Amino acid sequence: MTAPVARSSPAATVAFDHVTKQYGNTGPGIPGAVQDLSFEVPAGKVCVLVGPSGCGKTTSLKMVNRLIEPTSGRILIGGEDIAGREVTDLRRSIGYVIQQVGLFPHQTIGENVATVPRLLGWDATRRRERVDELITLVGLDPAVHRDRFPAQLSGGERQRVGVARALAADPPVMLMDEPFGAVDPIVRERLQNEFLRLQAALAKTILFVTHDIDEAIKMGDLVAVMEVGGKLAQFGTPDEILANPASDFVARFVGADRGLKRLALSRVESLDLRPAVTARVGDDSDEARRRIVADPFEFLLLVDASNRPIGWIGQRQVPSSGVLTEAMASAMSPLLDGKTTLKDALAMLIDAEVQVGIVVDGKGAVQGLVTADEITAYGRRDGISGSGAEATSR
Amino acid sequence: MIRWDVIQSSLPLIGTKLLEHLALTLVAVFGGLVISGVAVVLIRDRPRIVGLVTGFFGVVYTIPSLALLAFLVPLTHLTFVTAEIALIGYTLFILTRNLLAGLASVPRDALEAADGMGYGRTRRLWQVELPLALPLIMAGIRIATVTTIGLVMVTALIGFGGLGQVMLRGYNFRNDTLVLVGFVLTVALGLAADLGLGWLGRAITPWSRAKAG
Repeated sequence: MTAPVARSSPAATVAFDHVTKQYGNTGPGIPGAVQDLSFEVPAGKVCVLVGPSGCGKTTSLKMVNRLIEPTSGRILIGGEDIAGREVTDLRRSIGYVIQQVGLFPHQTIGENVATVPRLLGWDATRRRERVDELITLVGLDPAVHRDRFPAQLSGGERQRVGVARALAADPPVMLMDEPFGAVDPIVRERLQNEFLRLQAALAKTILFVTHDIDEAIKMGDLVAVMEVGGKLAQFGTPDEILANPASDFVARFVGADRGLKRLALSRVESLDLRPAVTARVGDDSDEARRRIVADPFEFLLLVDASNRPIGWIGQRQVPSSGVLTEAMASAMSPLLDGKTTLKDALAMLIDAEVQVGIVVDGKGAVQGLVTADEITAYGRRDGISGSGAEATSR
Repeated sequence: MIRWDVIQSSLPLIGTKLLEHLALTLVAVFGGLVISGVAVVLIRDRPRIVGLVTGFFGVVYTIPSLALLAFLVPLTHLTFVTAEIALIGYTLFILTRNLLAGLASVPRDALEAADGMGYGRTRRLWQVELPLALPLIMAGIRIATVTTIGLVMVTALIGFGGLGQVMLRGYNFRNDTLVLVGFVLTVALGLAADLGLGWLGRAITPWSRAKAG
């Protein structure tokens, strides 16, 4: 999205403090019940609540805007217990997005987006400006969409309007209940990416519910895995959860391919690159040959004057006299850059049927090499919290 | 058969009775709407009471109109009130049922969104639920109005009845023209109300016709 980014109020921490929700007096085990839930989401972070149906993730979310009241325990926003807040006042300060979107069918898109500003008593001019700003922010065109009714929009467009409406009064906290669950996979992926870009600029504190572990890993700075009975099975960064599942339940829930999923979380730049033995076109071949013989890797990487790779020359193909020419280079490897995810990098190597990828910088100059073995080893390594590659990558 | 001179000389009477017919109808429908509206808002969260109230209105609805008037006259005499009690009584069943159906037709997700964004109960009712219930409420008002226009004729028996009185006078004086005028105008009024309210219903719910593309 190239849209202007709305000015944003500071986010607030959201903390669950021994929160329990029981239905009836049959105690825990009822779908939707929550058992002694404690965790804290730092300001500006996305925390995804994920788990099988009936694990209490939606119940937990709805306790934050008090659509459901906890049986015991406290929920704090910015350190303040929400039980003491006037309930409509609290809800107007929290953005709320649900799976079915819940746009008002009888109101235009503009009127829908202006809902909370209207409840808060903003004047018409300010509402109008805010509406156009938000419609643009979520990638729609105010001139085209503002005066339409929800029934005249596609599912993906409606979901965007739902996000715009939740952001309207610039709330410090947002609650999103399977917001992309009702759209097809292609639209979902686009909405997820747009949302991440938006969040990078807005930095709201977001609680996000999904049953899809892949979505949780992609969207969350933090992931809270919940199991049936409403217990918190594990709370941590996506990488921690994939690297060190706290229980058999978490390991099964994240799936057998968790090593591969971890690769999607890290980027080539987090590997220690192997230096490449390079030689320029026009270099003396005898000198180049001596260097490559000394290296365990038997290929010389031929580069142009700007250090951009041209191709590999096998140790034996380097002539004993004369100069190196472009024609000597035979095979090439996939070019990776630091931002390529390890999963994509591995896929490119497999696809090209080679073991080694060449890492280049923004200008195409060689930075070093990575091997398929190094990538797969990274996926198997133990998670060490705060090792730098984690949490910053998605 | 039709005597235009009779129509001409009776024009003031016909005009007065037409207006009276309209007034009786409007008061009945409006009164019925107020009563059923208040009833529905008060009882809608209590299914058992809803059952009792709609059941009672249903019984009222099945009482033959002549019998109801005969029952009411000793209590409230030959008055406007008697006529309206009967007329309003018949609208309640239709209007209550359609109000309830209209409120039940409001999408659950819109209600959840309204609650989650901080609507209070009253504001949610007026700004979300009633507007979204309008198509069914308007359908109820339309049926109730057309039904009432027909029923008003019967109240001619207690000295009201609008165009019903024109017809009654026609019978009493063996004046076929007046009978015909009363009949034709009542049917025309019913048709006009049906078409007019249908148009009004569509005009105030533009969103219900909005479709993609």
